[in-house]
Amino acid sequence: MTEVSDREPPRRRVPRPARPERPAARRGPGPGARPARRPAPRPAAPKVIRLGSPRPRLRMVGLALTLVLIAFVVRLLQVQAVDASTYAAKAEENRYVGYTLAADRGGITDRAGVDLATSVDAYTITADPTLFTRKQLKVDDGPEQAAALLAPILGAEQDTLVKKLRPANRNLRYTVLAYRQTPQVWKQIKDLKTALTDRAETDPGTVNALAGVLAVPTSKRVYPNGDLAAGILGWVNAEGKGAGGVEQQLNSLLSGKDGKIRYAQAGGRQVPTVGSTETPAVPGSDVELTIDRDIQWAAQNAITDQVKASAADRGYVVVQDTRTGEILAMANSPGFDPNDLSKASSVNMGNAALQDAYEPGSTAKVMSMAAVLEQKVATPQTHVVVPNRLHRGDRLFKDDIDHPTWYLTLNGVLAKSSNIGTILATGQLGKTQRQANQVLHSYLRKFGIGGYTGLDFPGETKGILAAPGDWSTSQQFTIPFGQGVSLNAVQAASVYSTIANGGVRVEPSLVRGTKGPDGRFTPAAKPKETRVVSARTAKTLGRMLESVVDDEEGTGTKARIPGYRVAGKTGTANRVDPATGKYKGYTSSFAGFAPADKPRITVYCAIQNSTKGSYFGGQICGPVYKQVMEFALKSLQVPPTGAKAARLPVAYKP
Amino acid sequence: MSRKPKLRGRAARLARLIPVTAGSGQAARTPFVLLVVLLLGGGLIGLLVLNSALSEGSFKLDDLQKGTTDLTDEEQALQRSIDAYSAPEALQRRARELGMVPGGDPAFLNPDGTVKGVPSPAADAQPASVRRPLVLAPEAMDPAGGLPPATGTPAPTATAPTATAPTATAPTRQPKPTPAAPEPVRPADPAQPAAATPVLPAMTTPTPTPGR
Repeated sequence: MTEVSDREPPRRRVPRPARPERPAARRGPGPGARPARRPAPRPAAPKVIRLGSPRPRLRMVGLALTLVLIAFVVRLLQVQAVDASTYAAKAEENRYVGYTLAADRGGITDRAGVDLATSVDAYTITADPTLFTRKQLKVDDGPEQAAALLAPILGAEQDTLVKKLRPANRNLRYTVLAYRQTPQVWKQIKDLKTALTDRAETDPGTVNALAGVLAVPTSKRVYPNGDLAAGILGWVNAEGKGAGGVEQQLNSLLSGKDGKIRYAQAGGRQVPTVGSTETPAVPGSDVELTIDRDIQWAAQNAITDQVKASAADRGYVVVQDTRTGEILAMANSPGFDPNDLSKASSVNMGNAALQDAYEPGSTAKVMSMAAVLEQKVATPQTHVVVPNRLHRGDRLFKDDIDHPTWYLTLNGVLAKSSNIGTILATGQLGKTQRQANQVLHSYLRKFGIGGYTGLDFPGETKGILAAPGDWSTSQQFTIPFGQGVSLNAVQAASVYSTIANGGVRVEPSLVRGTKGPDGRFTPAAKPKETRVVSARTAKTLGRMLESVVDDEEGTGTKARIPGYRVAGKTGTANRVDPATGKYKGYTSSFAGFAPADKPRITVYCAIQNSTKGSYFGGQICGPVYKQVMEFALKSLQVPPTGAKAARLPVAYKP
Repeated sequence: MSRKPKLRGRAARLARLIPVTAGSGQAARTPFVLLVVLLLGGGLIGLLVLNSALSEGSFKLDDLQKGTTDLTDEEQALQRSIDAYSAPEALQRRARELGMVPGGDPAFLNPDGTVKGVPSPAADAQPASVRRPLVLAPEAMDPAGGLPPATGTPAPTATAPTATAPTATAPTRQPKPTPAAPEPVRPADPAQPAAATPVLPAMTTPTPTPGR
């Protein structure tokens, strides 16, 4: 070709260096043929029909091409610049997989750190029923064989398991055999499964009946102490969210924050070089309650036994530290086992000590006495003449027993729990009955009646206390002795703690603090303190309450603890039947604190609608009070002060 | 190419630009080919090593995760059994099996030997110790020995005669001025003393009026 190019320079451009042999190969036809062939069509051109000028055609094509290219460019801009993030996100959806990392739920402990509620790993045992068919196992009784093996491990009925493994819907591929089993149960099944697989390989006679049994890892809420403090703790629903009690109240704190992990994947495997984003889960905080497990147990035991013995509807015991307002125990009977909600009755699943409002009866007289003493209208020695009947408003009031005219001191009115004496004493609170009502109401409010306790517990009631202007004719005479006003057990306990604490009401508290995931303990906010009555009045009241237990004529003699000075007050109230709204049955109660001269512990006990044996507060709640108080004194190692009892006079000689 | 005729002028200049010597070209290519082969081979082997390292890592991760799960399961199972042993209900039952009874009213012993409170014998000391042996089977003492049967089967070593049992039990419940026990009498079952408290006659007449 070099020769040719030499002759015809414009025809062929610079020969390509990569193909040096070509000219040699083409030597046959020779380059000379080409010039001969090319000129041939040229003379023919003029003979063909003349086409239009190529220029407009070129323009058209150019225009079309431009349009097409503009379209491409616009689209390119749209994809790459305008909507870039959308498309990138769409692509990442396929490229990245992500799932949530479940946060561990925090535990609930008592004041000593003993677990009351904790979360553990668990497995939900499931099965694929299609793997038990004849087609798979070559035997007919696959489900029966599997059920026979699983029934003892899962503790389930063999028939129910067979039913689940042989469902009506033949295409069903998922069935739950048992919810939330311990890892040990799943391990047992796994071991059995591998043993069967090994046997099936060597011995064709056996079939691996458990091949279709699977497990889904999950977590389970466990209450190691069973029904202990169940009312306070509450429970967790199927979604793992707190649905009652502290579990519900502090759910956001306990549940923590779920984390997230996202990584690039190819064929289901993580691509190691592509960075993954991971937000680690923040475990929930541990909550430490003010409850003392042992005292709680003693309280629960005592009230359960008494409720059973009295065939009562319900009973509550509240134990409170008088100095800090911390609730040491809050027991309800009947209760429930939060580990097995299927057996629990929904009526018992609340925390009745905070959710029931009832008329307290005579235990409320202490507030009337506090008002009388604080207003300085009487002293414990003030003489009160108590007739057998007293006409006030539209009613004839009487005491619990018929009696000749009593000549009592104010102390005696409280000790013998005289309704008439209390009406007479509170009548002195104001110049008119209306004024007296207002004064009494202000004291009741200060003692925390008619307001929330400050625990912020779900479902808590604040009781019913009407405004003094709305008190009916009879109400203004019944409220001084605790009828016509409603409260819950914690409110009642708080009244006695206030007197025990020198007249300063410390808001009750149930949560001591929280321990975050970093292990740091955050104490709960300090409870609010308000002065209700003077320290002097509180001390006098304490001594008066002593006579209730100490004096032979007192109503609370069953609550005596030898060696200790015990202050207490009995209560037997007409109970409003929640079904009819009418008075039916009694609310028996006992409240008090010990040691009376240096109070440490308040115990309040109430039993609703006792139907067997006595229904007097001093008779059925007095012993419960004594048991719980003795246990609490021993647990907290509170020694007796050794001081002599007050022994205020109860009666006087006219 | 050697047979090619001599070129002149422009063609010669062009020809000079072309690398015509086949022999020298072959010689220059060998290191390049080697390099490519080396790179490819190296890459392949590197990939292999990387892959197996990754798999090894994931195997290890899997093993460790499994180990963690197993240990967690074990820990939780052990915790469960600890909880079962230390639950107040279980403690009470165990204490009763050992012949213990709930203490009565609290009493305290001062360092100088004086007693605070009014000590009294435990209310139901006798029936408990008559029913059950004072000495328990050795496996029940062993914390790892598992739960003893709830019935408290008398062990062969339980030779303590029932007649002496009450006297043996009562002093332990009673805080005698022994300097070793300045604490309050702890094991208490509040359910029991209730039955023994004297009933006061004055309060037993029920009347339908509230106000006690």
